[in-house]
Amino acid sequence: MKKSISILGVLLILGCNDPFVTVFEDSSDAVMYEANSKSDSTYDSGGVKVVTWNIRFGIARFPFFGDSCGDDVILDDATIEENMAAIADYLHVMDADIVLLQEVDVSSKRTGYMDQVQYLLDNTNLNYGCYASMWKADFIPSDGIGRIDAGNAILSKYELSDAERIQLDLRTDQDGLTQYFYLRRNIVKAKIPALVQGAKDFYAVDIHATAFATDDTKQQHIDKYVETLAEIQSSGDYFVTGGDFNSIPPGADSTDFCDEDICSGESIHTDADGEPHKEGSYFENFSGEPDILVPLYDTYNSAIDTASYNLPEHFTHAPSTGMIDDTTATMYDRKLDYLFTNGIWENASSKTHQAVWELSDHLPVSAVFNVGGE
Amino acid sequence: MKKFIFYFIIASLVFGETKKWDAHSAYLLPQKRWEMGLFQPFRYGYSESIEYSVHPLWFFVMPNFSLKISQSDFAGFTSASQYKMVYPTPFLNMIAKEGIMGIIAPDFQMPPMLGLSASWLMSKNMAGVNLTLNGGLDLGFAFGDLDTRSTIDIPLVYHRLGVYYNKWGIHTGLDVQKNLTQKFTALFDLDLIFLPMTGLAEVQIDPDASKLMGEYSLEHKLLLIWNKSENFRVLTGYKFVMGEYPYGSDMRLLPYIPMAETWVPIIEFQWARKKR
Repeated sequence: MKKSISILGVLLILGCNDPFVTVFEDSSDAVMYEANSKSDSTYDSGGVKVVTWNIRFGIARFPFFGDSCGDDVILDDATIEENMAAIADYLHVMDADIVLLQEVDVSSKRTGYMDQVQYLLDNTNLNYGCYASMWKADFIPSDGIGRIDAGNAILSKYELSDAERIQLDLRTDQDGLTQYFYLRRNIVKAKIPALVQGAKDFYAVDIHATAFATDDTKQQHIDKYVETLAEIQSSGDYFVTGGDFNSIPPGADSTDFCDEDICSGESIHTDADGEPHKEGSYFENFSGEPDILVPLYDTYNSAIDTASYNLPEHFTHAPSTGMIDDTTATMYDRKLDYLFTNGIWENASSKTHQAVWELSDHLPVSAVFNVGGE
Repeated sequence: MKKFIFYFIIASLVFGETKKWDAHSAYLLPQKRWEMGLFQPFRYGYSESIEYSVHPLWFFVMPNFSLKISQSDFAGFTSASQYKMVYPTPFLNMIAKEGIMGIIAPDFQMPPMLGLSASWLMSKNMAGVNLTLNGGLDLGFAFGDLDTRSTIDIPLVYHRLGVYYNKWGIHTGLDVQKNLTQKFTALFDLDLIFLPMTGLAEVQIDPDASKLMGEYSLEHKLLLIWNKSENFRVLTGYKFVMGEYPYGSDMRLLPYIPMAETWVPIIEFQWARKKR
């Protein structure tokens, strides 16, 4: 008896250890959320407004070390709450039915452990959410990041089901130790039963593709994304999809933003062949990268059409510390964020919301899905 | 007050009971004996009533010093008081940096900080089992602006440094030691660190302070000890920590190897000698 108790005790204790860094299966369940107090969640009729927005974990234009020329890591809680309130307010103003979010923190030291998915559900007219972590670790022993849980989320007025986290390939241009502590990017996909049209199910699909890989990881990410959408398409169902693709549109004027993004003390373009490039600022790391989105444009309907996608009024991103001159911030200088559907967007419904450039280093893009349109 | 100080000094001079290999008890080291381990401090029996200890490897980046003084027996227990002092600032500023091993964000400059701790220890042999009870008060002084976002939110560390943010804390514990054979000993210990609810007024000014309220850590250790000789021993076992952190409750079995995602047993070597 004593022996059994001892063995049980040891097993219980051994069972208490969660992984230090969470790794994911190729496919796993997304984490489900609900607003504490729901607004009307019945779909009546009319278009469905879809928004994609990389909200940069609510730090707005804070000079964060990881994605700008800043060297700060942790913003104070009051400012994060202010930023998140502004994001919630704008989502409310847009009156979106479905929101595809990237870079959302749910339990991270850098954002005071605020559960931003829950916060947005509780402070907007959105009722349901699902979340897929892309970076989950008890402690990142670098740059004071500490505990982190950040990822993608789909928020919706209507109930979500069958929410799935689809793992994307890891970068192959990192050593084992860096890769262990690094991001595990994903696609999150969910069904929205309220929007079923006849026999056709309705899906929302959200992606945040790699930004900083210098190998062809981005190609693997887009390939997996295209494969995921093709599965829905071949089942005869509808989808609305989007996210931060970290890719510029085909035919963009420039594929090299190193000069625009360079930080003091950095060295770029020093070799005869123009290398090295700044990670995340160069879009020709592998053959075919400038045209990486062509299959999406060829197959599906884009919210911002091919005639407009390279116009400045549809740029969605600039690093938060980018400056045109000593006093003027670069608000946006490239397009990285997209919306697509295999259905139809309502005419003239698409918009890049450049007025809210101060709320993140990415801008929201919205469009209205035409329910019943063929 | 004078009477109290006089009594305290007299009580301190009482020769305590000495014992080898018993760092956490009220027993002091025999005079002129030293003991140290890979992960344990260097301890020295200065006299029959005073023992001091320092973490020699940590000393140059985190000056620390501890003094154990024997006291009069209390309720049949051998008693001692222990006083600790630590100055963690140089080490914390070393790890407040960019890049790998940047444990604290480089945004923060840690101010001069002083940690003081006083404990009362009581030990007794009961039916072949050595029992030690301890309890005490921890004080943390920060001589400058200590940003609440600079906490290190991991087991063992968070609550020890939490005292600087909370300004004070209390600790209590229980150690049970039993000789299994002539060469083997088992040690079971349980420690509770508590950062009591304080600073309500501060929370009005700084909402971050609310995260530090009422947080506890329960630590438990089970060790099997092989006493090779009076001068060398090997310890193995585990440490279990559960507590409340700024992000919620958590528990972990230690030591834990992150990349292998597995627990491994503690392996500790300890040496001792007697100074001639």
